[in-house]
Amino acid sequence: MLKYILKRVLWVIPTLIGVLIILFSLTYMLPGDPASAMLGPRATPELVEELNSRLHLDENMPVRLGYYLLGIAKGDLGTSVWSGYKVSSLISSALPHTALLAVCSLGISAVIGVFLGAFGAIRQNSPISRIVTIVSLLGVAVPDFVAALLLMLLFCVKFPILPAIGAGTEGGIGDIALHLILPATALGIGWVGYLSRLTRESMVDVLEADYIRTAKAFAIPQRSIAYVYALKNAIIPTITVIGLGVGKLLGGAVFVEIIFSRPGLGKLIVDAVYARDFPVVQGGILVATVLFVLANLLADISYGFVNPQIQYD
Amino acid sequence: MNTTPSKIISNQMSLTPRWTETVSMAFRSIVKVKGGLLGAVFISIMLLCALCAQWISPHDPDAQNILQRFAGPGFAHLFGTDYLGRDIFSRIIYGCRIAVLVAFGSVTLSSVVGVFLGVIAGYNEGKKFDYFIIWLFDIVRSFPQIILALAIVAVLGPSLVNVVVALAFTAFPFYGRIARAQTLSVKEADYVKAAEAMGQKPLTIISKHITPNIMAPVIVCLGMDMATMVIWESGLSFLGLGVRPPTASWGIMLRNGYKYIQVSPWMILWPALAIAFAMIAFSLFSEGLRVALDPKERNR
Repeated sequence: MLKYILKRVLWVIPTLIGVLIILFSLTYMLPGDPASAMLGPRATPELVEELNSRLHLDENMPVRLGYYLLGIAKGDLGTSVWSGYKVSSLISSALPHTALLAVCSLGISAVIGVFLGAFGAIRQNSPISRIVTIVSLLGVAVPDFVAALLLMLLFCVKFPILPAIGAGTEGGIGDIALHLILPATALGIGWVGYLSRLTRESMVDVLEADYIRTAKAFAIPQRSIAYVYALKNAIIPTITVIGLGVGKLLGGAVFVEIIFSRPGLGKLIVDAVYARDFPVVQGGILVATVLFVLANLLADISYGFVNPQIQYD
Repeated sequence: MNTTPSKIISNQMSLTPRWTETVSMAFRSIVKVKGGLLGAVFISIMLLCALCAQWISPHDPDAQNILQRFAGPGFAHLFGTDYLGRDIFSRIIYGCRIAVLVAFGSVTLSSVVGVFLGVIAGYNEGKKFDYFIIWLFDIVRSFPQIILALAIVAVLGPSLVNVVVALAFTAFPFYGRIARAQTLSVKEADYVKAAEAMGQKPLTIISKHITPNIMAPVIVCLGMDMATMVIWESGLSFLGLGVRPPTASWGIMLRNGYKYIQVSPWMILWPALAIAFAMIAFSLFSEGLRVALDPKERNR
């Protein structure tokens, strides 16, 4: 087990180096001249040349890659071509908004999804079970950005009861929460459907297991059989899915943040793409990727703890 | 199942079924699955719309009519009109084209590349090439998929082909990993050992004996991925990083609907419904495909 964890953690290093190489080559392939874009049309050739050599843009590719990796190792993500701010400070001001959105939508939808799924499995053919089917169909049929648009249409235009844009940072906790409702619902609706169906399926399997029959024979109350004995095992597939889900969530956050104008990481990346501000795009994607890699790592490792039956070699 | 003895014998006689038989057999078992038939019908409708868009759609999808902007659904325009007075129904029909093209195109491209690399890596298990391919897969899988696609399109420039390429690039490691894992188990099978003992070349073994026998899980993944690709194409187009306007794509229609959200709900509702239709179609079909190809579930 320890050996597996060590191997898994160490494997992250070459993977992240590869990620950096891909990010670097994407910018390398980019047409255009960053230095003249930064300095504007009235820059003298000497100025452009000086900036080029300061940014090491006049070197050949391997050298530039070396400088890039060195900068990352020092924690320097570069400077925004557009605004002149440090990329790291732009990201650190955007990240809390995305983190809040992701944690809220994933947390709430995990609780609702697991509860709905478990209940739907215990009482099959009950209204709750039908709700699970409907919600999971809805989650499949309406992708997050479409859900965001529909929610906005319903609750901001038809019945203007919820705020449509911004993160509500000026108005205190209540306002922040109010601004979170629609984006978090849009991001979470698919997850409620997916997790509830997943939990229901594995719960149905678990409820047929021998140890549940034994528990029944020992006259353990129905409720504690279901929610303690069965759910503990039925929840295992859900946990791995949540790890992968962080990636989907970060991707979905891009759309939801654009639609609701939340100043998060996704909006930062897309706005930088529009402005062709590639240091910011690079830095933003790097941070999103690192978060995703870490989430997967945690999910993989926790999987071994939750399910001791798994044997690692 | 009512299999007569003669049928069993004839099945055994033809050891290698023609591909038409395989396809029709697969289709029959998909249709038997609950919902599979509905999925197949929905996909057929989408294909029909995509192929015959110019005959089905009542109006030119790009014809503007400024006097008739933001019309609600009615007789003249079934689904209403958009901010330039274009017929939404016709644009939805033409949008099927983009959705189907992207779904099939990117899934085909990514699965071919992924399976090719995965099988070769699996066959050379433990060698340097294998490690390199695993590394490559893990790097690409590290990115949140849509964010990587977004970055690639941003570099290549928005166009239909670039969207297909970008989406295929984000998805190929998933096929590769499935193909590699399957190859690891299939290459230990007796028929592969026999082929090796007969002195067949590795390339022949890979193409004739391994690849055909690992395709079932790949095909299941293919079905599920098509839905995802449709979402992502419309997502990228929604951000203005996908298909170029004025091409009728559902994502572009949503983008315009978002701009005029205060004016007309129809510009959002219809493309949203179209996407929902496509999602249900592909998920039902892929669920049918999964059950049909899974020997454990088939006899349930």
